Amino acid sequence: MARRPASLALRLTVFIGSVITVLLLAFGWLIERSIDRHFVQQDVDELNAVIESVSQLLSEPERAAGDEALQRHLASAVSGHHNVQIRLTDSDENLLYATPHSNLKRLAGLTSSADTIDIDSVKTWKDQGQTYRGAAVQLMLAEPMAQAPVTLVVATDIDFHVHYLDSFRLYLKLITLAACLIAILATWFAVYQGHAPLRRISAEIRRIKSDHLSIRLAPATVPVELTELAISFNDMLDRIEESFARLSNFCADIAHELRTPITNLRTQTEVALSQARDLEQYQEILYSSLEEYERMAKMVSDMLFLAQADNQQLQGERVKVNLLTEVQMLFEYFEAWADERGVALVCTGSALWVEGDRLMLRRALSNLLSNAIRYTAVGQAVTVSLLAHSSDGVMIRVENPGLTIDPAHLPKLFDRFYRADPSRQRKGDGAGLGLAIVKSIIAAHGGHIAANSAGEQMIFEIQLPRVPAE
Amino acid sequence: MKLLVVEDEIKTGEYLRQGLTESGFVVDLAHTGLDGHHLALTERYDLIILDVMLPDVDGWRIVQALRAAKSTTPVLFLTARDSVEDRVKGLELGADDYLIKPFAFSELLARVRTLLRRGTAPAFDNQLQVADLILDLPKRRAQRQDVRINLTNKEFALLELLVRRQGEVLPRSLIASQVWDMNFDSDTNVIDVAIRRLRAKIDDDFEPKLIHTVRGMGYMLDLSSGA
Repeated sequence: MARRPASLALRLTVFIGSVITVLLLAFGWLIERSIDRHFVQQDVDELNAVIESVSQLLSEPERAAGDEALQRHLASAVSGHHNVQIRLTDSDENLLYATPHSNLKRLAGLTSSADTIDIDSVKTWKDQGQTYRGAAVQLMLAEPMAQAPVTLVVATDIDFHVHYLDSFRLYLKLITLAACLIAILATWFAVYQGHAPLRRISAEIRRIKSDHLSIRLAPATVPVELTELAISFNDMLDRIEESFARLSNFCADIAHELRTPITNLRTQTEVALSQARDLEQYQEILYSSLEEYERMAKMVSDMLFLAQADNQQLQGERVKVNLLTEVQMLFEYFEAWADERGVALVCTGSALWVEGDRLMLRRALSNLLSNAIRYTAVGQAVTVSLLAHSSDGVMIRVENPGLTIDPAHLPKLFDRFYRADPSRQRKGDGAGLGLAIVKSIIAAHGGHIAANSAGEQMIFEIQLPRVPAE
Repeated sequence: MKLLVVEDEIKTGEYLRQGLTESGFVVDLAHTGLDGHHLALTERYDLIILDVMLPDVDGWRIVQALRAAKSTTPVLFLTARDSVEDRVKGLELGADDYLIKPFAFSELLARVRTLLRRGTAPAFDNQLQVADLILDLPKRRAQRQDVRINLTNKEFALLELLVRRQGEVLPRSLIASQVWDMNFDSDTNVIDVAIRRLRAKIDDDFEPKLIHTVRGMGYMLDLSSGA
């Protein structure tokens, strides 16, 4: 058994949910990135400002003069910048100045030749529980001390930013999670709601029982996507209702058709037994019963044949059958009977081949022919024409003069137990199953039969798939 | 001729036995598949009539056992289910013929006789004769009391069938199948017309009458006009 596909609601929810989740995550990441960058830029700007003022300070010779003064000046240059620490060393790694309580020594080696810092050259590190961001630059001193550049390390304590970012990230995660959940729930709800028409249709369909086959879906009241489904479902119901009606009529007909002979037999037997009779009379009664039994047996076997046809059990053998030979054989069979009725048999056309069960095809043609002969007046002819209908089809046309049925009722001829003339019922014309059997046989061979009329001509036309000659 | 009938339906079995006995056969009747299986394998029969649907050992197994034991006894099976598979299965397992219920007893009788005759060498006579009716087979000619009778091809075939199986009641369906190869019931009285025409040619102007109607069953060619 094939694996059952996942539920539509699940599929849609998973799909839409994951798209929304990915989008939200990407969005959150973008925001977080840009805020982070913004902070870094802020820090870099501040550090650059410090570098600027230190460099300014150092480029003024009078200020750079004494150590004491320099240190004071540097301390004041930094003091405006909250949290900023600096460390100034000369080219021989001698400490010129360092912000008190700072520990920037390890950055001294990472000197870059640039005299400003940007986002890419700035470093971030942790020291004693604090997070710092900073960089080292080289600055030239003013003339009297200008033998070699000095190294300035600047750093700023960014704990404040880090805390802010951490909590921002947490909020962002919570918001994203909540948004995803809401989106998924909303999707699921929307899909569920979207399937409401399906559930409604299903409930309507559930109301359809064998005794309520007339219920139909209203295609106008369902969403546009389901119109097609509703229409095909209605079509299917039409077909089922029709076959169901035919079947129940068929059952009723069978009961009715059997009732008559059983009544006859029963009455006859009861009357026969009601008093003593002589041998001949008994024999007569038994013979009469025998005829009745024969009729019933034939009807039962015909009905079984039709039941098999209904269940697609009419397979039979598949051999190539020459229609011309079959028609000629049937003519030989019916010859004497037709002759006695003064009916001529004419066959036109050439040998055409079809594939199928010879016996069944013969039976179908025999039923049509006997029917045609029966309704043809003395002195007239039944004509069978074999025509190559197309490159891959043959047409067998059986026609006879003597249209005894209203053309409007022609299609009904193939109905079971249909009799054009009810009074013919018990004159040995069979139970009215002959043409139904013909239709079943032709259908089992992939063909089609139609009854037409032209003037006073009754015409049966059979179309069958053609096969090449043997 | 000794026949075995295996039929679990009591009434059907009894009537088959009675009918076959009255037609001159010696009949053993088994009501269960087990009895039938045992009898078929231990006794010698000329023919076995087998119902397929038996409650214990079904007909198929009896045929199989019989063929496995290299027995060539002809088997005719009776079936209530008219399905192609059933028929094919029966014939593949080695049954020789089948009849679908409800069948006419005359039909069964005719089939039984056909099967029994099958074993004997077919008569390749040049000539068949009943009373003063002579059939010249190679020339397809008939004559009675030295009067040449003109028969159509099918009329000759019909007469030959009746003569070859004289004394047997031939149901219409059997005649249709043997003479015209029409293996199904027709609603028409084609056979009656054909017989009537044949009678007009070989019986109307002669005595004794040879072809007899057996009411409700069929036709028979017989010298004794007792039918």
